[in-house]
Amino acid sequence: MKRLLGVALGILTAIGGFVDIGDLVTNAVVGSRFGLSLVWVVVVGVVGIILFANMSGRVAAVSGRATFEVIRERLGPRAGLANLTASFLINLMTVTAEIGGVALALQLASSVYYLLWIPVAAVAVWLVIWRVRFSIMENVTGLLGLTLVIFAVALFLMKPDWGSLAGQLAPAIPEQETVWTYSYYAIALFGAAMTPYEVFFFSSGAVEEGWSVKDLAQSRINVLVGFPLGGLLSISIAACAAVVLLPAGISVTSLSQVILPVAEGAGKLGLAFVLVGIVAATFGAALETTLSSGYTLAQFFGWSWGKFRRPAEAARFHLSMIVCLLVGIAVLATGVDPVLVTEYSVVFSAIALPLTYLPILIVANDPQYMREHVNGRAVNVLGMVYLVIILVASIAAIPLMIVTGAGS
Amino acid sequence: MLITPALAPAAKARTHGAPGFAILALAALAFLTGCSGGTSQSVSTAVKDSSSAVATARIALRQDMDGKLTRAAASTTLDDELKEVQTSRSTVLKLSPASQEDRDLQKQALDVLDQCAAGFATARAALATNDGGTPSLSDGDKALAGAQDALKQLEDKVGSK
Repeated sequence: MKRLLGVALGILTAIGGFVDIGDLVTNAVVGSRFGLSLVWVVVVGVVGIILFANMSGRVAAVSGRATFEVIRERLGPRAGLANLTASFLINLMTVTAEIGGVALALQLASSVYYLLWIPVAAVAVWLVIWRVRFSIMENVTGLLGLTLVIFAVALFLMKPDWGSLAGQLAPAIPEQETVWTYSYYAIALFGAAMTPYEVFFFSSGAVEEGWSVKDLAQSRINVLVGFPLGGLLSISIAACAAVVLLPAGISVTSLSQVILPVAEGAGKLGLAFVLVGIVAATFGAALETTLSSGYTLAQFFGWSWGKFRRPAEAARFHLSMIVCLLVGIAVLATGVDPVLVTEYSVVFSAIALPLTYLPILIVANDPQYMREHVNGRAVNVLGMVYLVIILVASIAAIPLMIVTGAGS
Repeated sequence: MLITPALAPAAKARTHGAPGFAILALAALAFLTGCSGGTSQSVSTAVKDSSSAVATARIALRQDMDGKLTRAAASTTLDDELKEVQTSRSTVLKLSPASQEDRDLQKQALDVLDQCAAGFATARAALATNDGGTPSLSDGDKALAGAQDALKQLEDKVGSK
């Protein structure tokens, strides 16, 4: 019974923790401009993150060490540095975007200007990382993030024309858009679903929670069930935007637009749910990205790391996270739009993907670390297919950003 | 250490000069993504963005009238969308039209965007009014509807060019 509850909790937190500011904004932008014609990208992205998160969790469970630590040792400092540079910079952008997301959601709830919420959000992130146990932190934010299911509920309450909505599922470029903007947002959606921090956090979290080989089955269930359901949440965000915003000619540029479909379908109660969900999702992701920044730095430089250690025993790990939060605050204090930071962060994520995922694939095939738990043939074939997709997305991202004026 | 010898030189080659290249690439990217076409294209983009902002504000006002949206969410939405209109206005204002036709278009766009800003002012004042006085929420909606019509006409005009 206890084990069953553990599995259920793992799945629920995986669903609730799946959506972050990148998923919220990108899915709403895409839904308001392209309807559901890019849903296939979410499906591709979810399969990809399942594949690599599972691989990364397996590396941690079998070797007892975080993926990044193994990559640094297995591929050497130079390849490790390339990986660190790419993932750390994206992480920093994502930390900034998530803290901005928390502040924007709190502004929607209170009408107090978001810049005033930024230091509050950052201090809260630091306090939780400093004081709260890893499992509590994960479970509380993940479970509260589940309230985002209100997007799906609101969609049903709006009683849309399901036939017409289903008709949008075929990949097609709307009349007012070009093949370039369609491709650009396809890459942004893919980058949002496969953000690098997720796999590093997943594997470091596995070490924090002391996973071993016997936890592999539960981790696999969490990923295989939780992530696709999280992907359905993403699709319902896009569907809500497609039903309410697209017909009104609205292109999403702010978080306040993302919540309007929920208010339309579910009123003030729905609004309360969605605001709690957005705060939980962005706050949870702010915790994960901040920790992920600390994890990657500490694992590359060989510092003592982990929340399972007292802060005094992992001083540089904690200090690096404080610096990351300060950088995030400083960037946001310039008045830069957090939604814009989010939009850029998901595209830059896509650019950095090969540097993150190729090393994981290599390490997961190394019998010195993985023993009999190396990737199977099917996983490797799928991994190679994904590497090609990742490479194409990475190469095409910058030219498309230039051609489309960043999707405008 | 488990470094495969063959991998080390390749990694070395990849990382040489990377920071300089990255900075150059980012600078070029910022420049290129900031580039845009002529007056009519800029006006067209500004009009589309403002139309989207006004449509959003009207939905927020309607939801507020229907009791579906809290005052805090409605006023934040209006503030966000006003910022969008102000950004569009600033873009149009900074254009340097070369021909008389473009100058007329710029002036017309600025008039319409000012009408939008005035519509937002009425709507925000309506939201701030708690005692049932004027302007009412429906006054705000009317002002925004007028701005939306003007934007539509300008959009049609720019689109027909």
